[in-house]
Amino acid sequence: MRMAVSLNRWSGGWVRAFVTIGLTFALTAVLIAFSGKSPITAYEALFRGAFGSFDRAAFALNKATPYIISGIGIALCFRAGIINIGAEGQIALGGLAATWVALSWPQANVLVGIPLAFLGGAVAGALWSGVAAAIHVGRGVNEVLATLLLNFVALLLVGEALHDRLGEPGAGFPQSPLFEPNYWLSTVITGLQLHVGVIIAPLAAVGGYVLLRYTTLGFAIRVMGTSRSAATYAGFSVPWLTIRLMLMAGALAGLAGAIEVLGIHYRLIEGFSNGFGFNAVVVALLGGLHPLAIVPAGLFFGFLEAGALSMQREVGVPSSLVSVIQGLTMLFVLAALASTRQRTN
Amino acid sequence: MDTLALDFLVASLRIASPLLFGALGGILSERSGVFGVGIEGMLLAGAFGAAVGTFLSGYLTVGILASVVCGALVACVIGVVAVRYGADQMVAGLALNILVLGLTSYLLRSLVGGGQAPVIQVPLLPTWPIPLLADIPVIGPILFRQQPLTYLGLIAIVPLTLLLFRTQVGLTLRAVGENPTAAFAAGAHPNRVRFAAVVTGGAIAGLGGAVLALQQIGTFTDGMTGGRGYLVLAALIVGRWMPFSTFLACLVFGAAEVLQLHLQAWSLPFSSYTAQMLPYLIALAVLVMLGRSSRLPAAIGVPYR
Repeated sequence: MRMAVSLNRWSGGWVRAFVTIGLTFALTAVLIAFSGKSPITAYEALFRGAFGSFDRAAFALNKATPYIISGIGIALCFRAGIINIGAEGQIALGGLAATWVALSWPQANVLVGIPLAFLGGAVAGALWSGVAAAIHVGRGVNEVLATLLLNFVALLLVGEALHDRLGEPGAGFPQSPLFEPNYWLSTVITGLQLHVGVIIAPLAAVGGYVLLRYTTLGFAIRVMGTSRSAATYAGFSVPWLTIRLMLMAGALAGLAGAIEVLGIHYRLIEGFSNGFGFNAVVVALLGGLHPLAIVPAGLFFGFLEAGALSMQREVGVPSSLVSVIQGLTMLFVLAALASTRQRTN
Repeated sequence: MDTLALDFLVASLRIASPLLFGALGGILSERSGVFGVGIEGMLLAGAFGAAVGTFLSGYLTVGILASVVCGALVACVIGVVAVRYGADQMVAGLALNILVLGLTSYLLRSLVGGGQAPVIQVPLLPTWPIPLLADIPVIGPILFRQQPLTYLGLIAIVPLTLLLFRTQVGLTLRAVGENPTAAFAAGAHPNRVRFAAVVTGGAIAGLGGAVLALQQIGTFTDGMTGGRGYLVLAALIVGRWMPFSTFLACLVFGAAEVLQLHLQAWSLPFSSYTAQMLPYLIALAVLVMLGRSSRLPAAIGVPYR
């Protein structure tokens, strides 16, 4: 209820997103100049690093995939006024469940194993989100606190599993053994590290859009986001809607975790998804909580991270600048959204 | 009391002291109706200010002052975005934490390191045993043989409690957190009160960063607060936004961390990960048990306009 009022009024979203990004880059340029480097040279390197070659672009697309997939679920929740920030933990548990499937049935057929691992990831994410939903709906606990606290428990559970049953003996680092190649997500184009997850992300976006725009559930989400009492009056059960949405968001986040593990690392590594869930919140907001607009927002983040690495390598500008850009973007979007609400009210 | 138990308590208080500052700052912010998700960023900014300030100036006092200033400065971001513009407080807090993480790491490299990650060493604040009192058995070593900022944190509990519950300012602050409209009708300016509470809270939380940098670690490293700000949020819930109870919660969390550090030495039957989970699980259990009656300030998270 709280913020959804404004978030549904995302008009001129493209303009706002570009102004936001422009402002962020202007401020960041000052920081770069402050450290004695030329912002233009640095941004050139950033751009080259992001788009310079097919390999770089593939790297960026892979980076964007988990942000987009979990961002869709977050956006659906936020649209209904449920501030669900539990993706961070759900992604990690999704990766854990996929790992468990891959290590339990190492010889499974590709057509059985990978869907099963995806399913495992989605179910794990949904279950964890379900815990938060149950606490929120059943006991009236603030959903942000419930999802935030459960994130940390989830991350520690992954660490526990890696130190205990799933860890690679003698690795010296908390990681699982390498999966059998039949669990490696195939690449889309031969010769590029672009895994099939990049196809799932736009599909999820279209699915989210259709759901929100053309289904009864989508209508219910929009009504609930505008006014909970209106939703109740229209005959929708707010608690039941909340549970369904949080399960859905959890499943998407878990799936994103499974894709990351099977597509990039081919093993579970402690901290493989650090910051993914929080970045997905930024992506969802930057995309104005519109499922289709989340795709370019996620791509922006993916390319930004890819570019920052080569900016550090080539120009010597620390890649921690990415966090600065992400944080600033998020704050500007939030302020812009909120000030629109102030004016329209 | 045997020395093992005594060491345990001393270590718990030591680990709890940065949390304590974060929690005292968080109480101000959350009691006024603004979620303290950004405390992680304020602690980190404080630690950065303390370490870099001390390193560049050579004076520990400059470092301590810098930690207060840095904490308050980054809290201003929350004040502007979440209070002035009324954006979602939780998400604004997360954004601040991401921003501060990047900014401190970046500034450390460009201010001191010339692009590389420098290793800066700063002297630690010495222990100040209080004459006579420090010799009292049991209590002496725990309470009166500490570093200066720990004393400050322990003492600060009293004025903060008095401020919140015995003064007009505290009444206004709590009223704004419970029902800003009514507070406005009574002549207060809810958003000014909130802004002041958030920034003051940030300054106090910044000191928590100084404790970490100048009393415990002696340097600054990227993300050195390592989620302590989120532990503080859990402590606030467990302590139900009362200064002394929240301090006790911090102490319990400190004890959980000491347990985790000594698991192998004491051959306890659970893993370090389980011990690290304890604070979050306790906070969740408290929330679940209390449910709607958890005494969360009624208007927390709700922008006033």
